[in-house]
Order: sequence, then C-alpha cells, then structure tokens
Amino acid sequence: MNERHSPDILGCQEDVLGRLLDHIRRQSETVQLLRGDPDSSEEEHFRIMLAQTEIERVKFVVRSYVRTRLFKIEKYARYIVATPEIQDRLSQAELTHAQKFAHLVESHFNKSVLQGLPPEQRSLHDQTAFMPKMITEPDKTRAVFAHAREHCPPVRLPDGTALEMEKGRISLVPYHVIEHLLARGSVELV
Amino acid sequence: MALPASIRSSVTPPELELIASEQLVDIIPLIAMDKTAFISGAYGPLRPPAKSRVPLWMATNLKLKKKCHIVPPDWLCVEFLQDRLMRETSQAEFCELPFRFAEVAKVLLDVASDDMQNPDKIRSLLKDLREARQAKSREGLQKLDHSELSLPNFCSLEINEIRPFFVRAMGVLTQVSRTTQE
Repeated sequence: MNERHSPDILGCQEDVLGRLLDHIRRQSETVQLLRGDPDSSEEEHFRIMLAQTEIERVKFVVRSYVRTRLFKIEKYARYIVATPEIQDRLSQAELTHAQKFAHLVESHFNKSVLQGLPPEQRSLHDQTAFMPKMITEPDKTRAVFAHAREHCPPVRLPDGTALEMEKGRISLVPYHVIEHLLARGSVELV
Repeated sequence: MALPASIRSSVTPPELELIASEQLVDIIPLIAMDKTAFISGAYGPLRPPAKSRVPLWMATNLKLKKKCHIVPPDWLCVEFLQDRLMRETSQAEFCELPFRFAEVAKVLLDVASDDMQNPDKIRSLLKDLREARQAKSREGLQKLDHSELSLPNFCSLEINEIRPFFVRAMGVLTQVSRTTQE
C-alpha cells in the first residue's frame, strides 16, 4: 500500500514478493491435488474453496503492487536511467524494462517530431532551463498521510519547526519530510 | 497503461474493503473443520458451537453459505455508537474509533445484519457519525498550511475521502510559500 500512496518509487520488496508467490504456488498445487482426489469429503471441498478464495485475494494484492510499480517506472523511465541512486531500488527486471522503455520513448520522439526541428532544439536534455523540465521527476513535495508505527525522532518541517511523531499519530506532511522514516519502516502511508 | 487513471491518485473504497477484510472477527461456526493452513496463517479448528477467530473474508464467505454466525465486534452495537455520537457532536476533536471501522461495519452490515440486534439503528447511527465527522474534517481545512496537519483518530475511509482535495490544496500552498520566499 505504501507504494500506491508514495509519489516516489520505493525500494523493491523482492524477497517478500518472492515468498508470497511461492506461497501462492504451493497453495494452488495443494488445491489442484485435492481437487483431483475423487473421494474427498464435503468438508474437504469446503476447505479447498476457502483456500482458493484466499489465493485470489493475495493474487489481487500482488498484481496491484506490480502494476503500481510498472506505472511509476514507465512514467519516470528517463529519470531512472539518468539517476544511479534510484536504480538500486529496482529489481533487475524492472531496471531492464526502464532502460528499454526510455530508449523506445526517446527514439519515438526523435522520429516523430525532433527530426523536423532545427538542430539546436533537437536535444531532449536539460542543458538549458526548460519550463517544464524535459525529464519527469517524482514530485517529492506532494503531501502524504503518514501513520507513525513507532515513536519517531523529530523531523524538520518546511516552515522550520520540528515535528515529533508519537506512536499512532496520523499526519498530513510533504513526502520529503518523512522519506527516510518510511525507508526505515517507522511510518507507513495510509 | 499499467494503472487506470481513475485509481492513480487514490485507492478506491472496494480496495480498502479488501484490506480491511484481513482483520479478525469472532464467529460461531455451524460446521466442523480441522485446522487448515492458509497463506496468512493457520486458522481453525472450527468446532461448533465454540467461538473461533477467523479473518473477515473467511467469515463473510462462510456466512454467505449459511455456515456460521458472525459475532459483531464490541464497538458495533447501538450503545457504544450512541455514546460515540454524543461525544462526537459535543466535543471539538474526533473521538476514538477503530481505524478501519467504516469498512468493517459495512461488510458486516451487508452480509450479517441478521446476526446483530437492531441493524437499522446501527446503520443510521453510523451515518450520523459519518456526517458529524465529515463536517469537522471540512472545518479542519482552515488549519491547513504548507507544512503539516495532524489528524488524530482519523479513520482510513475518511482519509481516503479527503485525500485528493487536501493533497492538491497542500501542493498549492507549498507553491505559494515558495514564491513568496523567492
């Protein structure tokens, strides 16, 4: 859920995702196995059905997570390629996708429009200050709803005051203020 | 696109309901079932008529097949809600409620209203409560500035409701304060 609410791409939860997928696979296999068993009782059928319901639920959450990441990666593809520190947060497959996507977009722009422009305006890079910028960047000043999972040390707010969040407190704050707390897991976005 | 435009800015209430359905509720099963391992943990064994604790999604599933009775949580009863409504209307701040109370209440009222006493009364109380709190959150908008707004005792559905507007408003305020600084 954090992923959905945060404007920036968060670290990839690859091992959690892997474990979940493992669980799904194992559970589905059991279900298939039990299904094939002709002399299973009615109670068995019942359990199979419950297990299947849960598999579908978990699948939905996983799908939603992956789709959100994919959306962000495509939106910020050129930014990701240009900034090395954000690349650590992506898995290998995601990174390759981002690079390919960025490359595709660039060549598409080149072929469709940029060819026809005078050479000095052809570049897609930000040497001169364009408004708006050529590369879409995540908007870190966007406000998010943060819920403190534990007592957090004070953070500096944009107006200079310090904010100390006790456990359970919910605040609407700009994303960059609590970015490091989120990475540590002390707050969650709601 | 990977994510439809309608759900980009905020999650939808059905999605919140899905998350809330992971919470545990008490049921009185009408069928027996051995302890079964699920992805989120092992539940059971179900031995009627002993109470047992299962996730809400499982309870709804069983209920729809008429295989259990759901025991509504302590806070979902007329007295408790009436008390909260009284406090809500008499005090300025929000009163304490379970974080996902709106979603859980909705699911329970939808599928298991026959397990509760006086579901209509509960429904109307919940509605009054919601309106009282909504009015307060609108007032809270006056206190919004570009740095922080704390929302004690806000619940997830309410946050979701005000999210698009408050986030936009805060964005505008940030821009304004940046320009005045320059």
